Amino acid sequence: MNDERFDTTVSTTCGYCGVGCRLEAHTRSDRVVSISPAADGPANRGHTCLKGRFAHQFSRSRERLTTPLIREGGELRAASWDEALQRIATELGGIRAAHGADAIAGLASSRATNEDCWAMQRLMRAAIGTNNIDNCSRVCHSPTSYALRASLGYSGATGSFDDIEAADAAIIIGANPTEGHPVVGARIKQAALRGLQLVTIDPRRIELADHAVVHLSPRPGTNAAIMLGLAHVAHRDGLIDRAFIDARTEGFGAYEELLALYDPAVVQEISGVPAADLERAAHVYGEAGEACVLWGLGVTEHKYGSEVAQLICSLALMTGKIGRPGSALLPLRGQNNVQGSSDMGALPDTYSGYRRVDDEEVAQAFEARWGVALSRRPGLKIPQMFDAAVAGTLKAMYIFGEDVAQTDPNTTHVVHALESLDFLICQDIFETETTRYADVILPASAFLEKTGTFTNAERRIQLVEAAITPPGDAHTDLEILRDVSRALGHELDFESPQDVMREIAALTPEFAGVTYERLGRSGLQWPVQADGTDAPILYEHEFHRPGGRAHIAALPYKEPGDAADEDFPLVLVTGRRLQHYNAGTMTRRTANLELMDHDWLEIHPDDAARLWIGDGDLVSVRSRVGRIEVEARVTERIEPGHVFTAFHFPEVRTNLLVGSSADVNTSCPEYKVVAVDVRPVAEEPSRTPALAGPAA
Amino acid sequence: MRVTVDGSAVVVEPGASVLEAARAAGAAVPTLCFDERMAPFGACRVCLVGVHGPDGADTVVASCTTPCREGMVVDTHDPGARRVARAVVELVLSELPAAPARHTELAAVVRDLGVDGSRWSGAVHAERRDTRHPYLAFQHELCISCGRCVRACDEIQGAFALTAVGRGFDANVAAGIDAGFRDSACVSCGACADTCPTDAITELSLLAIAGATEDDSASSP
Amino acid sequence: MPGNLVQLASRHGSPGSPTVVELLSAAVRERGVLTDDDIRAAAATTGLPEATVHGVATFYDDLRAPRGRRHVRVCTGTACFAATGGAHEHELQAGLGVAPGERAADGSVSLAETVCLGFCHSAPAVRDGDVIDAGPGVVERVLADCAQDAGEPAARSLLPEPALTAAGDWSALPAVLARLDPEQFLEQVADAGLCGRGGAWFPAAQKWRFARAAPAQQRYIVANGDEGDPGSYIDKHLMERSPALVLEGMALAGYAVGAGEGVVLVRSEYPGSRPALEAAIEAARAAGLLGEDILGSGFSFDVRVVDGAGSYVVGEETALLACVHGLRGTVSARPPFPAERGLYGLPTVVHNIETLANVPVIAARGAAAYRDLSPLSRYGGSKLVCFNERFVRPGVVEVPFGVTVRELCEGVAGGLVDGRAIKAVQIGGPLGGILPASLLGTPFDGAPLAAAGCMVGHGSILAFDDRTDMRAVARHLLAFGADESCGTCFPCRIGLRRAHEEFASPRAVDRTRLEALLETLEVASLCAHGSGMPAPIRSLLEHFPGELGLA
Repeated sequence: MNDERFDTTVSTTCGYCGVGCRLEAHTRSDRVVSISPAADGPANRGHTCLKGRFAHQFSRSRERLTTPLIREGGELRAASWDEALQRIATELGGIRAAHGADAIAGLASSRATNEDCWAMQRLMRAAIGTNNIDNCSRVCHSPTSYALRASLGYSGATGSFDDIEAADAAIIIGANPTEGHPVVGARIKQAALRGLQLVTIDPRRIELADHAVVHLSPRPGTNAAIMLGLAHVAHRDGLIDRAFIDARTEGFGAYEELLALYDPAVVQEISGVPAADLERAAHVYGEAGEACVLWGLGVTEHKYGSEVAQLICSLALMTGKIGRPGSALLPLRGQNNVQGSSDMGALPDTYSGYRRVDDEEVAQAFEARWGVALSRRPGLKIPQMFDAAVAGTLKAMYIFGEDVAQTDPNTTHVVHALESLDFLICQDIFETETTRYADVILPASAFLEKTGTFTNAERRIQLVEAAITPPGDAHTDLEILRDVSRALGHELDFESPQDVMREIAALTPEFAGVTYERLGRSGLQWPVQADGTDAPILYEHEFHRPGGRAHIAALPYKEPGDAADEDFPLVLVTGRRLQHYNAGTMTRRTANLELMDHDWLEIHPDDAARLWIGDGDLVSVRSRVGRIEVEARVTERIEPGHVFTAFHFPEVRTNLLVGSSADVNTSCPEYKVVAVDVRPVAEEPSRTPALAGPAA
Repeated sequence: MRVTVDGSAVVVEPGASVLEAARAAGAAVPTLCFDERMAPFGACRVCLVGVHGPDGADTVVASCTTPCREGMVVDTHDPGARRVARAVVELVLSELPAAPARHTELAAVVRDLGVDGSRWSGAVHAERRDTRHPYLAFQHELCISCGRCVRACDEIQGAFALTAVGRGFDANVAAGIDAGFRDSACVSCGACADTCPTDAITELSLLAIAGATEDDSASSP
Repeated sequence: MPGNLVQLASRHGSPGSPTVVELLSAAVRERGVLTDDDIRAAAATTGLPEATVHGVATFYDDLRAPRGRRHVRVCTGTACFAATGGAHEHELQAGLGVAPGERAADGSVSLAETVCLGFCHSAPAVRDGDVIDAGPGVVERVLADCAQDAGEPAARSLLPEPALTAAGDWSALPAVLARLDPEQFLEQVADAGLCGRGGAWFPAAQKWRFARAAPAQQRYIVANGDEGDPGSYIDKHLMERSPALVLEGMALAGYAVGAGEGVVLVRSEYPGSRPALEAAIEAARAAGLLGEDILGSGFSFDVRVVDGAGSYVVGEETALLACVHGLRGTVSARPPFPAERGLYGLPTVVHNIETLANVPVIAARGAAAYRDLSPLSRYGGSKLVCFNERFVRPGVVEVPFGVTVRELCEGVAGGLVDGRAIKAVQIGGPLGGILPASLLGTPFDGAPLAAAGCMVGHGSILAFDDRTDMRAVARHLLAFGADESCGTCFPCRIGLRRAHEEFASPRAVDRTRLEALLETLEVASLCAHGSGMPAPIRSLLEHFPGELGLA
């Protein structure tokens, strides 16, 4: 585009999802007037989606927080930065003195930059003195992180999006890329039109199912049986890589024994997937020269999500489809920087690079750099923070860029927790469901207003550059964290985001060679060696585990934490829509709202008929922990027995319905299996079932 | 494979087009319907170059859809090729109700080829604007039927929301069953607006500032 | 070729399932107009996107205009123009009270232009529903609602042993299957020097070799039954009077190439061709000459027929394949050539109907005898030509190459009716040059005609008599050219419109500007439609400059 229409054009990385499109932001008079996709973006190659491309007006919405706010007598009033910082120092200082540092917890924003997250975890650890720091990967891909580290070594995709085009086949399980990761969804669709053999696995018939060789619709919560079933068929029919198993893995014996129990008939009984379809799917994957597996929250947000993720690794290891171009495991990270926030150690049990907080050598290195003693005790995970708040042992929280009252499960419990706190700080760009409970609100910056880096789902660290300034008296997040830390008595000695990256690189072997200069326009995929060599493909020669071998986990199928029964006969699955992003904080303040201004519950015609529900009726949806009302839409894309909605609209309050069942290893909530009762709200039904027998 | 472009030797992969060879040699060949992310279309006929084939024949070809052959000699400034390419651009200018805006690819091609107005005049496209979508706008009268938007929606996004409509001079482009972007399979990715060389499809926000900048630059060449 | 759309079309397209074009045509025939629901239904059935189907509905003549209970189509082809100067169109419009492309307010009647009905021998022609009436009094009969099917003259041959005017008898196929393997038969056809009779004159065996060499599980033979040239009814004759000959040619080509399936694209302007072909296919299947394991040879080949819906450019091979896919009949850049990537992306040999009819002749008589059918020419084989209504003895005639055009016009066709003199003759179709009377001594052969700015083309011989206004001819040809432009390439899409405007406006024609336009069309067009249109205009500039209204 010609520049004379614009004052500046700034190259940056999108702040919406984990694809990490590179964008050119065009400004006039300190407003973004247009965004175009960068032709040389490694992930997006000149393309992007309606969010990255168009949904940027939120940055200048009149609803932006532009001044610190302090709650007094139940009402929020404007305050100066000095006053807000003073209040924070006093309150947190008091709580720490009376109850100890561990009575305070922090939540880092997975939408903020790596530098912001680094600063936040340093603040919590060095300024406050606790490891109570977590980020929203807890509620999405923490099971993936656990599984990848346990089976392979590194907490990240084993390849890149380019592996999609290099693959002969791909399994997509528990993800809907054409809506959740549109640019990757488009790449997959194009590859499928050119011959990529797809297997889609989802309770809904996702759009990519129309381009798949076979679509499997398992009952929610039965993914483990599916993965074991696929592996059973592959093993039975000789589609395994013996040489690879012997040379590069351990644990196959127990796995082999376990597989014998999961023949297709058994899997059909458990999951409802016809045996013939399972066989077909197994052969599509097993016979392919190169094959990828992509997965999303339909795998992780389950009681045994971390085990299913390990079983995905086991299948790939048994068939040797890993560590080569076209054979990759690609978990589709949701947030633009959920990979990065975890990489940076905004986690209760690890520092950057997933090194345990009780690892002496690591802790001492941090102590040396930061100049303070650091706790060796692992901190609270987000669900534990809420429990502790209700129990009274957690007194304060510092929530940075996260709307837990809308996005976390069991809203009633979350609200109770927030109300129980003595002191809540929220650092955000808009008022949210969560800020209703805040004592101090700090006005922060959006991705178009800050400089730093994001790490996408390919482990690609990419530069983010400010195109405009934060509105009013809002500050960049790095500035805020520096000011808060200083107020708490610990100086974050960073002049600029680049300084932060220098510290990150100095303290984390996986990022040793990362500099802004080297990141340039294409970024770098970690681990990055000191000389700047990066790693598009992991595990070409060895796995990142002691001895260099991958672990093939043998984990049997176990029932999910919830199931349909007589009282709650349908199962609710939640997910995303194309036009909006997560809590909708940003997208609902753009014209995307014109494209979609409310949500609805998808229900199958058979269920709708049985329940006397007509298309467009208002229905009540009740689970064991909550009740909501929402418009129903009758569609055949969902399987009978399931209903689906998203969580972008606070009016829908979807998460009121989700209980406390969570992943056994990581506490990731089981959003994907919620037993519900659905019925029309109106006294008079809009439709009734046809009478059987001859017409009256 | 070795070919010669404007006197310089260039090595290209088998299957490379003459346009790819020209670009590898650093030669500037103007195009209108070409977008490197999509399969070459061969519609605009602006990318004409002169080719002296290994069999001795001299031809003018559309470089984007002509494969290289070993020993081919390419002249991107062949007078006949340039003359005809300029005539094609003049024909395009003659079908539009107004001169193309400065920032458009079409305006750049007009400048690069040194085209100054058009020898031809006659029927022009009827004005038809569609601004029902919150972000994307159709200005149908500016469509030159280069096909890039339809191909982008097909080959990049895969939504297949756009189609060419009509035939001959009256050919144009439409979304869905001529229903506008919103009531079609469009996913609002904007790939069509990104690739359109004339602003027949563009962003509403850019249309809004176009008025402003044209006032500013009214006096500049 | 739009790869993704072809992929989508091939996922649902099985032999026998109707194409989008056919589904929409059926809807128009039933209800008179296409609704959005028709579009959606066709999209859902075929798996093609709704927008794509909408685009198809706006491209083809049969789909674009609303139909009344009575649908009248007036032929506006060059033969009909040569007969009446266009008067019959005006008379019909005035008599029916409806303009072309429109329907009466009460829905009773509609009028459309069509090009061409293939009744050039009895021009002007009008199609009333499915009755095609032609010749003197046709407008009166149609207006009186008593149109009757026009007769068609019998075909003749100048050869001692007629080859192409003899009905096919399927005797060649069994012999080839029994005695030659596919490569051997291919060599025989190469030796015979068979060249495409559609107008491009491309060596058939070369296409066969490319297709055979392209690795694939399946290949296709596609017969181009879209004889759109106004003035030409040769393929119509073959499809309707000798369908067996055409089918046998397809089967033989399939054997040589390694194709198991044939498709005939038949234009909708010839309502008699599809029934004739399908009857012949049924008969052949019953006799074991088409289908699985033909005559126990191990070779399987079957044919299906697909309808066009009114587009001249669909006669170009990539546009033809697009139509079979159910897409807009637009031209695609080549390479890739259909022999490498054609129908459903697979190797496909596309041949004109007459070309295919030559194949059994070669098989039956051998390459040498075939070559000797035209002793005066380098070309082998014979050529079917057809004459327009201006001639005393119109009809399809089989002739050897090399006889002079005068012999054909006067000796064979008997000169013009009413004692009129030939002013000029357009040979080979609307893209053929125009031969003035002074050059009628030119041999009917490739090189001599080319030297005179003309071509053999598809072989129609269309006379303009001494009453003809040549500027009107220019306008007529350019109107046809602009209307039929598929709209893909810029020179043709815009340039033919501008060229027509030159001759349609009252202003004098700027010759320099016109020459620049003709050069642009010739050099830069994507296909022979744009690049060929200048040829007759150049003939007119050279031989009749005074009549053109030049500045």
